[in-house]
This record gives sequence, structure tokens and C-alpha cells, in this order.
Amino acid sequence: MSDETPDRDDDIVLAGEYALGLLSDDESAAFELRLASEPELRAIYAAWAEDLAAMTEEVAPVAPPASLLPKIEHRLYPDEIRRRHGLWDRFGLAGLAVAVLALGLYVGPELFDRPPAPPSDPAYTARIAAEDGSFVVAAAYDAESDALYLDRREGAATPGRSLELWLIAGDAAPVSLGLLSDDPVTVVQVTDDLRAVLDGGVLAISDEPPGGSPTGAPTGPVVAAGPITES
Amino acid sequence: MSSELQEIEDLIARMAMGNRQAFREIYARTSAKLFGVVLRVLEDRAEAEDVLQEIYIKVWNNAERYRVNGLSPMTWLITIARNAAIDRKRRARPVQSAEMLNEALADPGPGPEAEAVRRSDRERLSGCFGELDDRHAEAVRRAYLDGDTYADLAAHFEVPLNTMRTWLRRSLLKLRECLSR
Repeated sequence: MSDETPDRDDDIVLAGEYALGLLSDDESAAFELRLASEPELRAIYAAWAEDLAAMTEEVAPVAPPASLLPKIEHRLYPDEIRRRHGLWDRFGLAGLAVAVLALGLYVGPELFDRPPAPPSDPAYTARIAAEDGSFVVAAAYDAESDALYLDRREGAATPGRSLELWLIAGDAAPVSLGLLSDDPVTVVQVTDDLRAVLDGGVLAISDEPPGGSPTGAPTGPVVAAGPITES
Repeated sequence: MSSELQEIEDLIARMAMGNRQAFREIYARTSAKLFGVVLRVLEDRAEAEDVLQEIYIKVWNNAERYRVNGLSPMTWLITIARNAAIDRKRRARPVQSAEMLNEALADPGPGPEAEAVRRSDRERLSGCFGELDDRHAEAVRRAYLDGDTYADLAAHFEVPLNTMRTWLRRSLLKLRECLSR
């Protein structure tokens, strides 16, 4: 880099180390102070942040559990929890059922006497089953609420283990849709990027350590699988 | 900027004005991506869920400062997520670091926009990684994706700490030289 001054090289390295999180606390704090007053250093840092972020494209997305969004919203707008259903208007009644379920997981199960009802007009369905029929889950996807309704009809998790649901689209790595609940019925919220690949995909359930795969990819045996079909 | 990035940028702008529906849409579009990144660093589902909550609270609270930080919208979100995950992994560094960074970057000034809007793409990056020694490329990857420290890297590659620093600093210079071509 003959056209660069040694000082600029030092800053390129320092900004790179900062972006990678390799600096000590003191070094980071000093760097942040310089960032505030040196536009050129900000540009060097921003270039690293952009370039390095491209690395995350090799990390498989993992859908967080549906119960998480209500928890976050409760922390963001604590006074709103009782009026929550207003936010769900655009999702219609089926969406409301999901909201109530997610909220229920948060405020406690005593609100519920009955599990949520399956969608009346699902866009897609799947029968996720073991070859010998010892484990069967019926899946139905409601396009209006982006909710995947799962009804476990046969089989259960091994005590002390969790069952994790995966979506496999084409040759892509399996994407986690979350854990099956201990109750027979689980409802999973499907995110935008995953909805597009439901058609023609395969749903699979694997046996995982409690709390789910620690790696973001299936680690245990697949107990059941089935193709998603348009209904 | 692709239309999808533009849409995310618009959602961030609406979120900055307190639009809760915009927050919900940002979450629907980005939470699986960010959760994957966080899980990769923390390798623990319960901790990752906890950190993901903090991340989206931070995203909501800092949305109004997004426009002046010079990062593209996905980079901004990924950086917040990764920093929060690494802060949690190390515990020693409190969470405020990401906020300090936001403050530091919030100075409008003559910004880095020209450079920052440049589309970072994976092929360009992996092409440049290909020009590094395999182990050096792996070290950069481990630092970014797994949150390894210099000490972690030195232990992993079984080299003295100073050798590790030298490797990595040289790799950063080579990478930047390649990425700037």
C-alpha cells in the first residue's frame, strides 16, 4: 500500500480491531472518543462494519420463539399490555388467537382453558411423521396471521430433551422455527423471509438438548419429517 | 440501495417517530437473521433469547439516531446485535459500549456516507478472504462471528499472543487493501 501513510495504515488496523471487538476496554473507549471527532476515522470504521457484516450471510437464520415479541413489547410499552389486541386488528381474528397464546405464555397459563383452534382455511398443510407412525404432528399454516399451527397427535419428547422444528427449503441449511411446546398444540410465528420458502419445503422435527440446538443447526436425530403441500 | 434495504430504512425512520407497527415489521423481517447471529456467538438459546430482547429494545430506543451513523440499515442492526451478544459473552464489557458507539457516531459532520452506501457483498469479501492464508482468514472469521478475543485466538491456533496480534493486524491490512481495489 505504497500510497498510504503509515498513520492511515495504523488507523485501518485499529478500526478493524475495534470492529472485530479485539480491543481492550480502555483501547475501545479511546477509539470511541476519537470516532466522535474524526470523520475520516468514522469512514474507515463504517467501511469495516459494512464489509465484516457480509460475513453474517453464512450464518443460518433462526426464528426466535413466538413468545419473545410480546415480552419485548411489554418492556417497551408496559402500560399497553391490557390494550394489546388493538395492535392485532390488521391480523384478523386468527392473528388474535396467536397473540392471546403468546401473551398467555407470558402472563401465565391460567388464562387458558382451551388450546388455540387450528386455522379454518390453511394455505399450506404438512403431515410431519415418523416412518413407523410413532410420532405424528399435523401442521397447518394460516397465511393471514403468518401462523403455523402444530398439533402433536402421536409421540412426545424424551424426558429431559426438547423437540425442535425445522424448515428445509431446497438445498439450504435447515432453519429453526422454534421448539415444540410440552402441550399438544404449538403455534409458531413465521417471519417474512421464511414465508416465501414454505411452498415446496419440508418440515422436520429433531431431538435436541433441553432448550434446543445450541448451534443453530440440528444436532440430534430427526424424529419426523414431511413435505409442505398447498391445501 | 436495494428496495428491501430502502424499506428497512423507511421502517427505521417510522420507528424513530414512535410507530409501533413499524417496530413489529422490523422485528418480523430481521429477528430470525439477528437471532441466528446472536446464537452463533452465545451458543446458548436462553441467553440468546434474553440478548435478543435487549437488542430490539436498543433498536427501538436508538432508531432516531440511525440516519446519521453512516451505516446501511442491515449493518446497523447486525452491528447492534453482534456487539450485544459479545458484550454478554464477555460480561466484563458492559452493554453501554454499543450505546457509546451510537453517541460517537451520532455527530453528523462530514459523514462517511459515500463509502458506507457502497454495497458490501459476500462474494467480494470471500474473494478477499481467499487471498489470506487459510488460518489467518479463519482467525478474522472467528473474531467476528464467534466473538473470540486475541487470547481465545492464540489458544485456538496454539501461537503466542503477540504472534496472533501480528497475524491478525497484517490480515486486516491485506483485507482492506483487497476490499478497496
